[in-house]
Amino acid sequence: MEQSGASLFERDLARLIVQTLKLKTDPAVIEPEAALFGEGLGLDSIDALELSLAISQTYGYQLKSSDPQIKTIFSSLRALAAAIEKNRTK
Amino acid sequence: MRETPLIGPYDVDDVLAWDQEGPRTVRRFLADAASLAESLPDRSTALNLATNRYEFLVGFAAAIMRRQVTLLPQSRASETLLRIAGEFPGSYALTDRGDAIEGIDSVSIQPRGDQALWPMDIPRIPPDRVVAVAFTSGSTGRPVPNKKTWGALTAVAQATGARLGIKAGDRLSVVATVPHQHMFGLEASVMLPIMHGLAMHAGRPLFPADIRAVLADAAGRWMLVTTPLHLRACVSESISIPPGGLILSATAPLPRNLAQQAEEHFQAEVHEIFGFAEAGSIAERRTVDGDRWQPLKGVQVAQNASSCLVQAWYLPTPVPVPDRITVDTDGTFVVHGREADQVNVAGHRISLGDLNQLLLKIDGVQDGVFFLPDEGAGLVTRLMAFVVAPGKTSEEIQRKLRAYVDPVFIPRPLVCVPSLPRNATGKLPRESVSELARQWLEREGDGA
Repeated sequence: MEQSGASLFERDLARLIVQTLKLKTDPAVIEPEAALFGEGLGLDSIDALELSLAISQTYGYQLKSSDPQIKTIFSSLRALAAAIEKNRTK
Repeated sequence: MRETPLIGPYDVDDVLAWDQEGPRTVRRFLADAASLAESLPDRSTALNLATNRYEFLVGFAAAIMRRQVTLLPQSRASETLLRIAGEFPGSYALTDRGDAIEGIDSVSIQPRGDQALWPMDIPRIPPDRVVAVAFTSGSTGRPVPNKKTWGALTAVAQATGARLGIKAGDRLSVVATVPHQHMFGLEASVMLPIMHGLAMHAGRPLFPADIRAVLADAAGRWMLVTTPLHLRACVSESISIPPGGLILSATAPLPRNLAQQAEEHFQAEVHEIFGFAEAGSIAERRTVDGDRWQPLKGVQVAQNASSCLVQAWYLPTPVPVPDRITVDTDGTFVVHGREADQVNVAGHRISLGDLNQLLLKIDGVQDGVFFLPDEGAGLVTRLMAFVVAPGKTSEEIQRKLRAYVDPVFIPRPLVCVPSLPRNATGKLPRESVSELARQWLEREGDGA
């Protein structure tokens, strides 16, 4: 099943992730609720760093890992999208 | 040889470590280490997996007090840990709270925060005692052990501090983005502070905003122990931090223009360390001053016809340098690049031949080869791999690999192909692989 109800913004963010990290995955098949790190997309801390720069440049939101919510924010495409929409400055 | 104390010039109420949970004084550290030492099992080797730098140090010190050797796994890949535990039978794992490792007995480092009864003896350690083992990636996924004596660790810490102009009582606050299980991390973010009476941050900030917050919070002058990767991220985000600090980078060469930008933007000196797990840190340079590396005090680098060797009083035998270098008559040297088979991804070094061997061990993989493309625009250039494995998906093979190697070496992409362009003798020339990669990138590479 594709897209499984991803919002427009979630799909934009999926494209940014795939482009930034040069993944082979088709952005449209990233499940909004699936894990981004470890299992799932299998991303690591360098990806997190690269992604944080792209998110900061694109949406003006600087991620912080000391944020108590960081594990939740990075848990899935949906959670990351929600955090960006809440904190974005551009 | 004379025994030397576990920690350097501190007063008992000096801050040895700090984080958002507050300061840990020397008094508290000694109590935490002594109390953990009492509860450790009677074994000879401990895998220290603590992610918190203070708790790592408590575990390291407790192991030393019990004359146990600390094993420093390069990665937390389950297979790696089990192999190391297999090579050192009877090993147990020291972990952060609530962290259990499957198949290995685990002891949780739980600093109790009792205050030591003063006066308390600071343990003294003979320089020839092996206190730690660092691992390098070997063929067939077998980690190769490199023994570290107390003398080697303290000598490198003293020589690095002397080169950077750090004096006892400087009270620098040391913040590190590198893991302390990595040789450079152990030397620069744990041994350097405790040998000079400095305060260390217990965490490991990752994002530029985290680094900014921790440095802004640091008491007095700060020192940032980091990598070109994190430094590039901080420069690209233009974070603002108090001026006058000291930046120490290692694990990969720092481009001079990046060092220049960092010096200007952060009003901080940027120094680099050259080293490798087998010998530890061996040389230093201030990147903006030029290419030449100055060996640390006590280190000689000698050029033979075929290789370069590092000698120091604390190294039992001369150690070959894994890079191609040219040594000048004054002992300084220039690094030209890696030996042909070696690659460095985000500060982790491995041989491509060894990676290829690992690939072939995976069920269903008939043939396969790793390749490191030329540097691209991102922070890190990832390996790619071409694999012949009918009926398997690239995700399956990547998942299998994950158990054997650090995540930074997982090829991205891992491309399944019907066959590899081997020549008549069965060899796979580098040019053919490079051509395969070029064709693939042209076809699928950009934003496909």
